[in-house]
Amino acid sequence: MIAIETNDLKKAYGKTAVLKGISLQIKKGEIFGFLGRNGAGKSTFINIMTGIANQSSGSFSILGAGGHRNETKKKIGVMPDYSTFYENLSAVDHLRFFSDLSGNPASKEQCIEVLKSVGLHEHVRKKTKKYSFGMKKKLGIAQAIIHDPELLFLDEPTSGLDAESVIHIQKLIFSLQKQGKTIFMTSHNLDEVEKICTRVAIMREGLIIKCGTMDELKSFYRSTMIVKMKHSPISPSGRETLKKWLKGAGTDLIMKDQSLSITVSSEKKIAEIIRALNQSKVDVYGVHVEEPSLQDIFMEA
Amino acid sequence: MYVIAKREFFSLFKSIKSIIVIAILFLTSFYSAKYSGNLLSEVELSSFEQENIYSAGLMLLILLFGMLFVTGLSHDTINRETHERTIRFLVTRTSKSSIVAGKFFGILLFWIVCLIASFLLISVFSQRISPLILGQTMSLITYQIALTVLLSTIVSRPAFTMFLGVIVGIAFPIISFWLVFGSNSWFGWIKFITPFYYLSKDDLTYLFILPLAAALIGIATQLFKRREC
Repeated sequence: MIAIETNDLKKAYGKTAVLKGISLQIKKGEIFGFLGRNGAGKSTFINIMTGIANQSSGSFSILGAGGHRNETKKKIGVMPDYSTFYENLSAVDHLRFFSDLSGNPASKEQCIEVLKSVGLHEHVRKKTKKYSFGMKKKLGIAQAIIHDPELLFLDEPTSGLDAESVIHIQKLIFSLQKQGKTIFMTSHNLDEVEKICTRVAIMREGLIIKCGTMDELKSFYRSTMIVKMKHSPISPSGRETLKKWLKGAGTDLIMKDQSLSITVSSEKKIAEIIRALNQSKVDVYGVHVEEPSLQDIFMEA
Repeated sequence: MYVIAKREFFSLFKSIKSIIVIAILFLTSFYSAKYSGNLLSEVELSSFEQENIYSAGLMLLILLFGMLFVTGLSHDTINRETHERTIRFLVTRTSKSSIVAGKFFGILLFWIVCLIASFLLISVFSQRISPLILGQTMSLITYQIALTVLLSTIVSRPAFTMFLGVIVGIAFPIISFWLVFGSNSWFGWIKFITPFYYLSKDDLTYLFILPLAAALIGIATQLFKRREC
Protein backbone atom coordinates (compact mmCIF):
# COMPACT_ATOMS: atom_id res chain seq x y z
CA MET A 1 0.00 0.00 0.00
CA ILE A 2 1.29 3.43 -0.94
CA ALA A 3 1.03 6.24 1.62
CA ILE A 4 2.50 9.06 -0.48
CA GLU A 5 2.97 9.23 -4.22
CA THR A 6 4.19 12.26 -6.12
CA ASN A 7 4.55 12.65 -9.83
CA ASP A 8 6.88 15.28 -11.29
CA LEU A 9 5.99 17.73 -8.55
CA LYS A 10 7.27 21.22 -9.23
CA LYS A 11 7.17 24.45 -7.30
CA ALA A 12 8.45 27.84 -8.32
CA TYR A 13 8.31 31.23 -6.66
CA GLY A 14 8.45 33.64 -9.57
CA LYS A 15 11.45 32.57 -11.62
CA THR A 16 13.03 30.64 -8.77
CA ALA A 17 12.38 26.93 -9.01
CA VAL A 18 12.34 25.35 -5.56
CA LEU A 19 11.17 21.87 -6.54
CA LYS A 20 12.23 20.77 -10.00
CA GLY A 21 10.21 17.59 -10.45
CA ILE A 22 9.89 15.27 -7.48
CA SER A 23 8.62 11.75 -8.16
CA LEU A 24 8.45 9.61 -5.07
CA GLN A 25 6.62 6.63 -3.62
CA ILE A 26 6.46 5.98 0.10
CA LYS A 27 4.92 2.78 1.38
CA LYS A 28 2.65 2.54 4.41
CA GLY A 29 4.49 1.76 7.62
CA GLU A 30 7.77 3.32 6.53
CA ILE A 31 9.84 5.87 8.41
CA PHE A 32 11.02 7.92 5.48
CA GLY A 33 13.85 10.38 5.98
CA PHE A 34 14.26 13.44 3.81
CA LEU A 35 17.73 14.92 3.81
CA GLY A 36 19.16 17.99 2.21
CA ARG A 37 20.98 21.18 2.90
CA ASN A 38 19.12 24.33 3.93
CA GLY A 39 17.08 25.58 0.99
CA ALA A 40 17.11 22.21 -0.79
CA GLY A 41 13.29 22.20 -0.86
CA LYS A 42 12.47 19.75 1.96
CA SER A 43 10.04 22.00 3.83
CA THR A 44 8.44 23.18 0.59
CA PHE A 45 7.75 19.55 -0.27
CA ILE A 46 6.10 18.96 3.12
CA ASN A 47 4.15 22.22 2.82
CA ILE A 48 2.71 21.09 -0.50
CA MET A 49 1.85 17.65 0.81
CA THR A 50 0.03 19.09 3.80
CA GLY A 51 -1.91 21.94 2.17
CA ILE A 52 0.22 24.80 3.46
CA ALA A 53 1.40 25.57 -0.08
CA ASN A 54 0.19 24.71 -3.57
CA GLN A 55 2.31 23.04 -6.23
CA SER A 56 3.07 24.84 -9.49
CA SER A 57 2.66 21.64 -11.51
CA GLY A 58 2.67 17.89 -11.11
CA SER A 59 0.41 15.75 -8.99
CA PHE A 60 0.42 13.87 -5.73
CA SER A 61 -1.75 11.55 -3.72
CA ILE A 62 -1.84 10.93 0.00
CA LEU A 63 -3.31 7.70 1.38
CA GLY A 64 -4.78 7.02 -2.03
CA ALA A 65 -6.53 10.36 -2.48
CA GLY A 66 -5.25 13.11 -4.75
CA GLY A 67 -4.77 16.73 -3.72
CA HIS A 68 -5.71 18.46 -0.49
CA ARG A 69 -8.91 16.73 0.50
CA ASN A 70 -10.59 17.32 3.83
CA GLU A 71 -11.08 13.59 4.44
CA THR A 72 -7.34 13.06 3.88
CA LYS A 73 -6.40 15.94 6.18
CA LYS A 74 -8.15 14.17 9.04
CA LYS A 75 -5.84 11.18 8.55
CA ILE A 76 -2.58 13.09 8.58
CA GLY A 77 -0.67 14.74 11.38
CA VAL A 78 1.68 17.60 10.63
CA MET A 79 4.46 19.14 12.63
CA PRO A 80 5.50 22.21 10.62
CA ASP A 81 9.10 23.41 10.60
CA TYR A 82 8.28 26.56 12.51
CA SER A 83 5.80 26.17 15.35
CA THR A 84 4.23 29.04 17.21
CA PHE A 85 1.15 28.48 19.27
CA TYR A 86 -1.72 30.52 20.66
CA GLU A 87 0.06 32.22 23.54
CA ASN A 88 -2.85 32.32 25.93
CA LEU A 89 -3.80 28.68 25.60
CA SER A 90 -2.33 25.83 27.63
CA ALA A 91 -1.00 22.66 26.03
CA VAL A 92 -4.22 20.80 26.89
CA ASP A 93 -6.36 23.59 25.41
CA HIS A 94 -4.31 23.41 22.21
CA LEU A 95 -4.69 19.68 21.91
CA ARG A 96 -8.43 19.82 22.56
CA PHE A 97 -8.88 22.54 19.95
CA PHE A 98 -6.77 20.76 17.33
CA SER A 99 -8.37 17.37 17.95
CA ASP A 100 -11.83 18.95 17.62
CA LEU A 101 -10.71 20.55 14.38
CA SER A 102 -9.46 17.21 13.07
CA GLY A 103 -12.86 15.66 13.69
CA ASN A 104 -11.59 13.27 16.35
CA PRO A 105 -12.18 15.08 19.66
CA ALA A 106 -9.87 14.06 22.48
CA SER A 107 -10.82 14.14 26.15
CA LYS A 108 -8.71 16.01 28.69
CA GLU A 109 -7.31 12.68 29.90
CA GLN A 110 -6.34 11.66 26.35
CA CYS A 111 -4.60 15.01 25.85
CA ILE A 112 -2.63 14.56 29.07
CA GLU A 113 -1.69 11.04 27.97
CA VAL A 114 -0.32 12.35 24.65
CA LEU A 115 1.56 15.13 26.46
CA LYS A 116 3.08 12.48 28.71
CA SER A 117 4.23 10.54 25.65
CA VAL A 118 6.23 13.54 24.41
CA GLY A 119 7.57 14.38 27.87
CA LEU A 120 5.43 17.45 28.57
CA HIS A 121 3.37 16.00 31.42
CA GLU A 122 4.72 18.49 33.95
CA HIS A 123 3.60 21.48 31.91
CA VAL A 124 0.09 20.58 30.78
CA ARG A 125 -1.59 23.60 32.33
CA LYS A 126 1.13 26.16 31.58
CA LYS A 127 0.31 28.71 28.88
CA THR A 128 2.47 28.25 25.83
CA LYS A 129 3.87 31.79 26.00
CA LYS A 130 5.92 30.46 28.93
CA TYR A 131 7.19 27.48 26.95
CA SER A 132 10.82 27.12 25.92
CA PHE A 133 11.79 26.30 22.31
CA GLY A 134 12.20 22.62 23.15
CA MET A 135 8.83 22.46 24.89
CA LYS A 136 7.18 24.01 21.84
CA LYS A 137 8.83 21.36 19.68
CA LYS A 138 7.38 18.64 21.88
CA LEU A 139 3.96 20.27 21.77
CA GLY A 140 4.36 20.39 17.98
CA ILE A 141 4.73 16.62 17.96
CA ALA A 142 1.87 16.17 20.44
CA GLN A 143 -0.54 18.19 18.29
CA ALA A 144 0.49 16.16 15.25
CA ILE A 145 -0.45 12.86 16.90
CA ILE A 146 -3.42 13.88 19.07
CA HIS A 147 -6.04 12.76 16.52
CA ASP A 148 -4.35 9.39 15.94
CA PRO A 149 -3.41 9.99 12.28
CA GLU A 150 -2.29 7.31 9.83
CA LEU A 151 0.45 9.42 8.30
CA LEU A 152 2.77 11.85 10.04
CA PHE A 153 4.81 14.66 8.53
CA LEU A 154 7.49 15.76 10.95
CA ASP A 155 9.70 18.64 9.87
CA GLU A 156 12.90 18.40 11.91
CA PRO A 157 11.21 16.88 14.96
CA THR A 158 14.28 16.73 17.18
CA SER A 159 16.19 19.86 16.23
CA GLY A 160 16.83 22.05 19.26
CA LEU A 161 16.05 19.31 21.78
CA ASP A 162 18.41 18.10 24.48
CA ALA A 163 19.97 14.64 24.11
CA GLU A 164 17.55 12.98 26.53
CA SER A 165 14.53 14.42 24.73
CA VAL A 166 15.96 13.38 21.34
CA ILE A 167 16.15 9.76 22.49
CA HIS A 168 12.65 10.03 23.94
CA ILE A 169 11.22 11.37 20.67
CA GLN A 170 13.09 8.78 18.61
CA LYS A 171 11.55 6.03 20.75
CA LEU A 172 8.16 7.64 20.25
CA ILE A 173 8.66 7.63 16.47
CA PHE A 174 9.56 3.93 16.61
CA SER A 175 6.48 3.16 18.69
CA LEU A 176 4.29 5.07 16.23
CA GLN A 177 5.72 3.00 13.40
CA LYS A 178 4.96 -0.17 15.37
CA GLN A 179 1.36 1.00 15.56
CA GLY A 180 1.34 0.92 11.74
CA LYS A 181 1.72 4.62 11.11
CA THR A 182 3.77 6.01 8.26
CA ILE A 183 6.26 8.70 9.18
CA PHE A 184 7.76 11.19 6.78
CA MET A 185 10.43 13.25 8.46
CA THR A 186 13.13 15.73 7.59
CA SER A 187 16.24 16.12 9.67
CA HIS A 188 19.68 17.62 9.65
CA ASN A 189 20.83 15.00 12.11
CA LEU A 190 22.32 12.35 9.83
CA ASP A 191 22.98 9.91 12.67
CA GLU A 192 19.35 10.11 13.65
CA VAL A 193 18.14 9.45 10.11
CA GLU A 194 20.56 6.55 9.76
CA LYS A 195 19.34 5.14 13.06
CA ILE A 196 15.59 5.35 12.67
CA CYS A 197 14.64 5.68 9.00
CA THR A 198 13.76 2.68 6.86
CA ARG A 199 14.34 4.66 3.65
CA VAL A 200 16.10 7.89 2.89
CA ALA A 201 16.01 10.43 0.08
CA ILE A 202 18.73 13.00 -0.40
CA MET A 203 17.65 16.24 -1.98
CA ARG A 204 19.73 18.88 -3.64
CA GLU A 205 18.55 22.07 -5.33
CA GLY A 206 14.98 20.88 -5.73
CA LEU A 207 15.77 17.40 -6.98
CA ILE A 208 16.04 14.00 -5.33
CA ILE A 209 19.53 12.87 -6.18
CA LYS A 210 19.46 9.59 -4.29
CA CYS A 211 16.73 7.49 -2.70
CA GLY A 212 16.74 4.06 -1.12
CA THR A 213 17.24 2.04 2.03
CA MET A 214 20.40 2.64 4.02
CA ASP A 215 21.90 -0.58 2.63
CA GLU A 216 21.09 0.45 -0.94
CA LEU A 217 22.66 3.85 -0.45
CA LYS A 218 25.71 2.36 1.22
CA SER A 219 26.24 -0.25 -1.48
CA PHE A 220 25.95 2.47 -4.11
CA TYR A 221 28.55 4.58 -2.42
CA ARG A 222 30.64 1.64 -1.22
CA SER A 223 33.44 2.31 -3.74
CA THR A 224 36.00 2.03 -0.97
CA MET A 225 35.99 0.60 2.51
CA ILE A 226 38.59 0.48 5.22
CA VAL A 227 39.32 -3.03 6.54
CA LYS A 228 41.05 -3.42 9.90
CA MET A 229 42.27 -6.85 11.02
CA LYS A 230 43.79 -8.29 14.18
CA HIS A 231 45.95 -11.33 13.62
CA SER A 232 48.64 -13.59 15.10
CA PRO A 233 52.33 -12.57 14.79
CA ILE A 234 53.90 -12.84 11.31
CA SER A 235 57.47 -14.01 10.67
CA PRO A 236 59.76 -11.31 9.11
CA SER A 237 60.04 -13.21 5.80
CA GLY A 238 56.33 -13.91 5.61
CA ARG A 239 55.67 -10.29 6.47
CA GLU A 240 57.53 -9.00 3.39
CA THR A 241 55.77 -11.46 1.02
CA LEU A 242 52.42 -10.60 2.49
CA LYS A 243 53.11 -6.86 2.30
CA LYS A 244 53.91 -7.16 -1.39
CA TRP A 245 50.71 -9.08 -2.04
CA LEU A 246 48.53 -6.74 0.06
CA LYS A 247 49.81 -3.68 -1.83
CA GLY A 248 48.30 -5.24 -4.93
CA ALA A 249 45.00 -5.92 -3.19
CA GLY A 250 44.33 -2.42 -1.86
CA THR A 251 45.69 1.00 -0.91
CA ASP A 252 46.70 2.88 2.24
CA LEU A 253 48.21 -0.24 3.78
CA ILE A 254 49.38 0.07 7.38
CA MET A 255 50.97 -3.02 8.92
CA LYS A 256 51.79 -3.28 12.62
CA ASP A 257 52.94 -6.28 14.69
CA GLN A 258 49.58 -7.94 15.03
CA SER A 259 47.22 -5.72 13.08
CA LEU A 260 46.79 -4.24 9.64
CA SER A 261 44.61 -1.66 7.98
CA ILE A 262 43.92 -1.47 4.26
CA THR A 263 41.49 0.30 1.96
CA VAL A 264 39.82 -2.02 -0.55
CA SER A 265 37.31 -1.50 -3.34
CA SER A 266 35.02 -4.50 -2.83
CA GLU A 267 33.88 -7.08 -0.30
CA LYS A 268 35.52 -9.85 -2.41
CA LYS A 269 38.89 -8.39 -1.56
CA ILE A 270 38.26 -8.89 2.14
CA ALA A 271 37.77 -12.62 1.62
CA GLU A 272 40.92 -12.75 -0.53
CA ILE A 273 42.97 -11.03 2.20
CA ILE A 274 41.73 -13.43 4.87
CA ARG A 275 42.60 -16.37 2.60
CA ALA A 276 46.07 -14.96 1.93
CA LEU A 277 46.72 -14.52 5.66
CA ASN A 278 45.57 -18.08 6.39
CA GLN A 279 47.82 -19.46 3.64
CA SER A 280 50.74 -17.62 5.29
CA LYS A 281 49.87 -19.46 8.54
CA VAL A 282 48.53 -16.26 10.12
CA ASP A 283 45.38 -16.57 12.21
CA VAL A 284 42.82 -13.78 11.86
CA TYR A 285 41.35 -12.83 15.25
CA GLY A 286 39.05 -10.09 14.16
CA VAL A 287 37.89 -8.10 11.12
CA HIS A 288 36.33 -4.66 11.23
CA VAL A 289 34.99 -3.04 8.07
CA GLU A 290 34.40 0.69 8.11
CA GLU A 291 31.52 1.31 5.70
CA PRO A 292 30.55 4.76 4.47
CA SER A 293 28.27 6.52 6.97
CA LEU A 294 25.21 8.47 5.88
CA GLN A 295 27.34 11.52 6.47
CA ASP A 296 29.87 10.26 3.89
CA ILE A 297 27.07 9.49 1.44
CA PHE A 298 25.45 12.88 2.07
CA MET A 299 28.72 14.70 1.53
CA GLU A 300 29.49 12.70 -1.59
CA ALA A 301 25.99 13.04 -3.08
CA MET B 1 -15.93 25.50 10.40
CA TYR B 2 -17.97 25.04 13.57
CA VAL B 3 -14.85 24.55 15.73
CA ILE B 4 -13.19 27.67 14.33
CA ALA B 5 -16.39 29.70 14.69
CA LYS B 6 -16.75 28.55 18.31
CA ARG B 7 -13.19 29.49 19.14
CA GLU B 8 -13.50 32.88 17.42
CA PHE B 9 -16.79 33.56 19.22
CA PHE B 10 -15.48 32.81 22.71
CA SER B 11 -12.10 34.47 22.17
CA LEU B 12 -13.88 37.72 21.25
CA PHE B 13 -15.45 37.87 24.69
CA LYS B 14 -12.06 37.56 26.37
CA SER B 15 -10.38 40.75 25.13
CA ILE B 16 -10.48 44.12 26.84
CA LYS B 17 -11.44 45.78 23.55
CA SER B 18 -14.54 43.58 23.29
CA ILE B 19 -15.60 44.42 26.82
CA ILE B 20 -15.25 48.14 26.04
CA VAL B 21 -17.32 47.78 22.85
CA ILE B 22 -20.00 45.77 24.69
CA ALA B 23 -20.06 48.44 27.41
CA ILE B 24 -20.47 51.21 24.78
CA LEU B 25 -23.29 49.28 23.10
CA PHE B 26 -25.13 48.67 26.33
CA LEU B 27 -24.65 52.19 27.70
CA THR B 28 -25.75 53.77 24.42
CA SER B 29 -28.78 51.48 24.24
CA PHE B 30 -29.69 52.14 27.85
CA TYR B 31 -29.35 55.92 27.85
CA SER B 32 -30.73 56.51 24.35
CA ALA B 33 -33.76 54.39 25.20
CA LYS B 34 -34.16 56.04 28.59
CA TYR B 35 -34.06 59.61 27.30
CA SER B 36 -35.44 59.20 23.79
CA GLY B 37 -38.97 59.39 25.24
CA ASN B 38 -38.27 63.08 25.97
CA LEU B 39 -37.98 63.72 22.20
CA LEU B 40 -41.52 62.52 21.63
CA SER B 41 -42.90 65.56 23.46
CA GLU B 42 -40.51 68.09 21.91
CA VAL B 43 -40.05 67.02 18.26
CA GLU B 44 -42.72 66.22 15.72
CA LEU B 45 -42.17 62.64 14.48
CA SER B 46 -44.00 60.29 12.17
CA SER B 47 -45.73 57.27 13.69
CA PHE B 48 -42.94 54.97 12.41
CA GLU B 49 -40.31 57.24 13.93
CA GLN B 50 -42.23 57.42 17.17
CA GLU B 51 -42.41 53.64 17.33
CA ASN B 52 -38.68 53.21 16.76
CA ILE B 53 -37.27 56.19 18.59
CA TYR B 54 -36.01 53.95 21.39
CA SER B 55 -33.74 52.01 19.01
CA ALA B 56 -32.50 55.12 17.18
CA GLY B 57 -29.46 55.60 19.42
CA LEU B 58 -28.22 52.08 18.87
CA MET B 59 -28.91 52.18 15.13
CA LEU B 60 -27.05 55.49 14.82
CA LEU B 61 -24.14 54.06 16.82
CA ILE B 62 -23.83 51.09 14.46
CA LEU B 63 -24.27 53.28 11.37
CA LEU B 64 -21.53 55.69 12.40
CA PHE B 65 -19.17 53.54 14.44
CA GLY B 66 -20.11 49.94 13.60
CA MET B 67 -17.34 49.59 11.05
CA LEU B 68 -14.83 51.06 13.49
CA PHE B 69 -15.94 48.67 16.23
CA VAL B 70 -15.79 45.61 13.97
CA THR B 71 -12.38 46.45 12.50
CA GLY B 72 -11.12 47.37 15.96
CA LEU B 73 -12.00 43.93 17.29
CA SER B 74 -11.40 41.72 14.26
CA HIS B 75 -9.03 43.47 11.83
CA ASP B 76 -6.48 40.69 12.36
CA THR B 77 -8.79 37.71 12.37
CA ILE B 78 -7.04 36.07 9.39
CA ASN B 79 -3.71 37.86 9.04
CA ARG B 80 -2.71 37.44 12.70
CA GLU B 81 -2.87 33.67 12.21
CA THR B 82 -0.93 33.92 8.96
CA HIS B 83 1.64 36.28 10.41
CA GLU B 84 2.25 34.13 13.50
CA ARG B 85 1.98 30.95 11.44
CA THR B 86 -0.65 29.40 13.70
CA ILE B 87 -2.67 29.19 10.47
CA ARG B 88 -0.53 26.16 9.58
CA PHE B 89 -2.23 24.16 12.31
CA LEU B 90 -5.59 25.06 10.78
CA VAL B 91 -4.91 24.60 7.07
CA THR B 92 -3.40 21.16 7.67
CA ARG B 93 -6.64 20.10 9.36
CA THR B 94 -9.44 21.75 7.44
CA SER B 95 -10.13 23.59 4.18
CA LYS B 96 -9.29 27.23 3.69
CA SER B 97 -12.94 28.02 2.91
CA SER B 98 -13.95 26.50 6.27
CA ILE B 99 -11.41 28.73 8.00
CA VAL B 100 -12.76 31.92 6.40
CA ALA B 101 -16.37 30.86 6.97
CA GLY B 102 -15.62 29.82 10.56
CA LYS B 103 -13.98 33.14 11.33
CA PHE B 104 -16.86 35.05 9.72
CA PHE B 105 -19.62 33.18 11.53
CA GLY B 106 -17.77 33.32 14.87
CA ILE B 107 -17.53 37.12 14.67
CA LEU B 108 -21.09 37.37 13.38
CA LEU B 109 -22.39 35.30 16.29
CA PHE B 110 -20.57 37.57 18.74
CA TRP B 111 -22.26 40.63 17.27
CA ILE B 112 -25.66 38.95 17.06
CA VAL B 113 -25.45 38.14 20.77
CA CYS B 114 -24.31 41.67 21.64
CA LEU B 115 -26.96 43.36 19.49
CA ILE B 116 -29.81 41.14 20.66
CA ALA B 117 -28.79 41.83 24.24
CA SER B 118 -28.79 45.57 23.43
CA PHE B 119 -32.22 45.37 21.80
CA LEU B 120 -33.55 43.44 24.79
CA LEU B 121 -32.21 46.21 27.02
CA ILE B 122 -34.03 48.77 24.87
CA SER B 123 -37.21 46.74 24.99
CA VAL B 124 -37.30 47.24 28.76
CA PHE B 125 -38.14 50.91 28.01
CA SER B 126 -40.02 50.61 24.72
CA GLN B 127 -41.91 47.41 25.65
CA ARG B 128 -41.32 46.18 22.08
CA ILE B 129 -38.60 45.18 19.62
CA SER B 130 -38.74 46.56 16.08
CA PRO B 131 -38.04 43.66 13.69
CA LEU B 132 -37.20 46.14 10.92
CA ILE B 133 -34.55 48.01 12.93
CA LEU B 134 -33.18 44.74 14.28
CA GLY B 135 -32.98 43.29 10.75
CA GLN B 136 -31.35 46.43 9.35
CA THR B 137 -28.78 46.53 12.15
CA MET B 138 -27.97 42.85 11.74
CA SER B 139 -27.60 43.19 7.97
CA LEU B 140 -25.35 46.22 8.36
CA ILE B 141 -23.12 44.47 10.88
CA THR B 142 -22.97 41.37 8.65
CA TYR B 143 -21.67 43.51 5.79
CA GLN B 144 -19.16 45.25 8.05
CA ILE B 145 -17.86 41.90 9.34
CA ALA B 146 -17.53 40.54 5.80
CA LEU B 147 -15.60 43.65 4.74
CA THR B 148 -13.32 43.30 7.78
CA VAL B 149 -12.62 39.63 6.99
CA LEU B 150 -11.83 40.61 3.40
CA LEU B 151 -9.41 43.33 4.56
CA SER B 152 -7.73 40.89 6.91
CA THR B 153 -7.27 38.45 4.03
CA ILE B 154 -5.95 41.01 1.54
CA VAL B 155 -3.53 42.75 3.89
CA SER B 156 -0.99 40.36 5.37
CA ARG B 157 0.34 42.51 8.21
CA PRO B 158 -1.84 42.88 11.35
CA ALA B 159 -0.24 46.22 12.25
CA PHE B 160 -1.26 47.60 8.88
CA THR B 161 -4.87 46.37 9.12
CA MET B 162 -5.12 47.99 12.55
CA PHE B 163 -4.20 51.33 10.96
CA LEU B 164 -6.30 50.63 7.86
CA GLY B 165 -9.21 49.54 10.06
CA VAL B 166 -9.32 52.95 11.76
CA ILE B 167 -9.18 54.75 8.41
CA VAL B 168 -11.88 52.54 6.88
CA GLY B 169 -13.93 52.70 10.07
CA ILE B 170 -14.02 56.50 9.93
CA ALA B 171 -14.19 56.92 6.15
CA PHE B 172 -16.73 54.18 5.45
CA PRO B 173 -19.85 55.90 6.91
CA ILE B 174 -18.78 59.35 5.63
CA ILE B 175 -18.23 58.15 2.06
CA SER B 176 -21.33 55.97 2.16
CA PHE B 177 -23.55 58.86 3.30
CA TRP B 178 -21.99 61.13 0.67
CA LEU B 179 -22.67 58.54 -2.04
CA VAL B 180 -26.23 57.83 -0.93
CA PHE B 181 -27.34 61.41 -0.36
CA GLY B 182 -25.05 63.18 -2.84
CA SER B 183 -25.54 63.45 -6.58
CA ASN B 184 -22.10 62.63 -7.95
CA SER B 185 -22.62 61.06 -11.36
CA TRP B 186 -19.12 59.56 -11.56
CA PHE B 187 -19.10 57.67 -8.28
CA GLY B 188 -22.83 57.41 -7.68
CA TRP B 189 -22.96 53.77 -8.75
CA ILE B 190 -20.77 52.79 -5.80
CA LYS B 191 -23.72 53.39 -3.47
CA PHE B 192 -25.21 50.14 -4.75
CA ILE B 193 -22.38 48.16 -3.24
CA THR B 194 -22.54 49.93 0.13
CA PRO B 195 -25.18 48.92 2.69
CA PHE B 196 -26.29 52.48 3.44
CA TYR B 197 -28.27 52.77 0.22
CA TYR B 198 -30.37 49.74 1.16
CA LEU B 199 -30.87 51.06 4.67
CA SER B 200 -32.26 54.37 3.49
CA LYS B 201 -35.58 52.67 2.76
CA ASP B 202 -37.90 51.54 5.53
CA ASP B 203 -38.78 48.20 3.98
CA LEU B 204 -37.17 44.84 3.31
CA THR B 205 -34.67 46.37 0.85
CA TYR B 206 -32.04 45.90 3.56
CA LEU B 207 -32.02 42.19 2.70
CA PHE B 208 -29.98 43.06 -0.42
CA ILE B 209 -27.09 43.72 1.94
CA LEU B 210 -26.78 40.01 2.73
CA PRO B 211 -25.83 38.89 -0.81
CA LEU B 212 -23.29 41.74 -0.87
CA ALA B 213 -21.77 40.41 2.35
CA ALA B 214 -21.75 36.90 0.88
CA ALA B 215 -19.93 38.23 -2.18
CA LEU B 216 -17.28 39.84 0.02
CA ILE B 217 -16.77 36.58 1.91
CA GLY B 218 -16.63 34.73 -1.43
CA ILE B 219 -13.84 37.05 -2.63
CA ALA B 220 -12.01 36.66 0.70
CA THR B 221 -12.24 32.86 0.40
CA GLN B 222 -10.90 32.81 -3.15
CA LEU B 223 -8.00 35.10 -2.21
CA PHE B 224 -7.20 33.02 0.85
CA LYS B 225 -7.26 29.80 -1.17
CA ARG B 226 -4.58 31.18 -3.46
CA ARG B 227 -2.47 32.45 -0.61
CA GLU B 228 0.28 30.31 0.90
CA CYS B 229 0.51 30.04 4.62
